[in-house]
Amino acid sequence: MSLILHGLPPLHWALAGIGIAGVTLALLFLANRRLGISTGFEDICSLALPLPYFQRAAVTSGREWRLPLLAGLVLGGFLSAALGGGWQPTWALGLFDRAIGFGPAGKLAWMFVGGLFIGFGTRLAGGCTSGHGIFGLANLELPSLVTTISFLAAGIVTTQIVYRVLFPLVGL
Amino acid sequence: MTLVYLILGTVFGFILSRSGAADYGFIQGMFLFTEFQLYGIIAVAVMVTAPGIWLIKQRGRTILGQRLSIEMKPLHRGNVAGGVLFGIGWSIAGMCPGPILVNIGEGKIYALAALAGALVGAGLLGSLYPALQRPLALPPLNAGAGEG
Repeated sequence: MSLILHGLPPLHWALAGIGIAGVTLALLFLANRRLGISTGFEDICSLALPLPYFQRAAVTSGREWRLPLLAGLVLGGFLSAALGGGWQPTWALGLFDRAIGFGPAGKLAWMFVGGLFIGFGTRLAGGCTSGHGIFGLANLELPSLVTTISFLAAGIVTTQIVYRVLFPLVGL
Repeated sequence: MTLVYLILGTVFGFILSRSGAADYGFIQGMFLFTEFQLYGIIAVAVMVTAPGIWLIKQRGRTILGQRLSIEMKPLHRGNVAGGVLFGIGWSIAGMCPGPILVNIGEGKIYALAALAGALVGAGLLGSLYPALQRPLALPPLNAGAGEG
């Protein structure tokens, strides 16, 4: 299987895992920060929403490091595309195009709904794949084990329903 | 330090982009049990990070000599409820929070809608937090459900 991005072959999983561990450990050892991305959504919200939840110190004090980290993620994606065959805007969505086949408007609606679940769910759970799944599990934290099992199980059930029941693809 | 965070984010984003962790097909393959890739990535990342954290804790200080402080996440009913909601979203969008930003960087236009949804979702959670606090036994508002 290849990536949607220019059909590139993926990095070996072991190499990618070691690289992610390296970033996680560098963040802790260099800057005393625990890896976590989803709180960055709160940081962005805190720039616009005056609600007490977003103006608490735990959120606003994290902006100085989380916002540059998030900007780096966008930059990393840009460099990956630019160095891997050229950057260009695209609607390509691989399996989704073959099995579901919605056009641009449908994709935007689909992704917005997915995003709603992601934003609400990660902030309710207190973290996402990075904060709970990588750092929390590696730090042997029980809430992270509970959360990771929950999101993996829900992801498996949802995808099985979408691609094996609602939009079955022959030969999948 | 801002530059350090920007560089680490860039390296992280590049790896997510090239490994399949930010790829719709590989995420669905993980949930369909047709692709091992993401399970391998997460397992190796955790298995290498764990002894690394242990070693840094043994030292007790960062490279600059700052006292190490790792804020532990609280345990509450939101872990399961939020985890399930997030898992549904991860499956629908084929992206978790980091990869939403990576996909935007790659030029995938629909990822902007995922980001808009995530910000609205986080905004909703923030406004409903006081109402959810008692039924889900969440920590006080000034602490939140966990930073990460």
